[in-house]
Amino acid sequence: MGQQAKAATNEPGERAARNKRGVAGWLNPLNTNIERWAYVFQRVTGLAVLAYVIGHIGDTSFFVGGPFGAGPNSASWALDLSATENVFGHLVLTMVVLVVVYHGINGVRLILAEYGVIFQKPARPEYPYKPKSLRTVQKHLVWVAVVGAILAALYSGGILFG
Amino acid sequence: MRESTIMQIQYVTAVFAIGLVTLHLLMQGVLVPYGDALMFQKVLSLYKDAVNGALLEILLIVVLAHGFNGLRIILLEWRQTAGWTKGVNRTALFAALVTMAYGTRTVILAATGQVS
Repeated sequence: MGQQAKAATNEPGERAARNKRGVAGWLNPLNTNIERWAYVFQRVTGLAVLAYVIGHIGDTSFFVGGPFGAGPNSASWALDLSATENVFGHLVLTMVVLVVVYHGINGVRLILAEYGVIFQKPARPEYPYKPKSLRTVQKHLVWVAVVGAILAALYSGGILFG
Repeated sequence: MRESTIMQIQYVTAVFAIGLVTLHLLMQGVLVPYGDALMFQKVLSLYKDAVNGALLEILLIVVLAHGFNGLRIILLEWRQTAGWTKGVNRTALFAALVTMAYGTRTVILAATGQVS
């Protein structure tokens, strides 16, 4: 009975079920494949964008005088701009463009993969046994997301600091 | 609602968000010069224009639905107890609705409120 239980817990599915690293597992430095890092960055950039959006909704509410305002208020808007239109604010906006563009392009890759558009046809495994589904187009799209995000951030930085 | 249906909604909101966020970013420095885009009268004219106001409201709803559902997915991946799942589902929905309501208030007041 004990032998049977031990054998059962060594099944791949059982081992996966015991994997309780959760969110902490995202940042494991031993996760060296690019798809794993793309997954981690998708989650981290998503959280960063959500935090920015919530702050942005609060910030733009000062166009109507803030939480207790009643309509468009130029003095309140000028006060808001004085707090956000500075080097730090522009740096934040540049970083926002960086993470938004990465999240968007990598998100398109994920949607295309989810619907099977960019998966290769299944084939007999061959040495060195790399999964065919994660080759060529998928990997290229990760780099398109990275490069696209950097270029967009440089362009927006040029506008904001130019 | 089934999780598979929620994931379809997540993908649909993602596609709409990409289009709307791209347009929103282009309006802030590319199609409209950055300095002009933040001027009080320019922002006011955007809110008062029916199409632009509606696009801002749709952007608000789409991005918040996508964002809070994404946060919910991450939190559900973290832990899988029944209590946690129920709590996360309800809290994410409540937080999304409250934030949407606050953003919608800004859009409505900007479009219809008295300028001061």
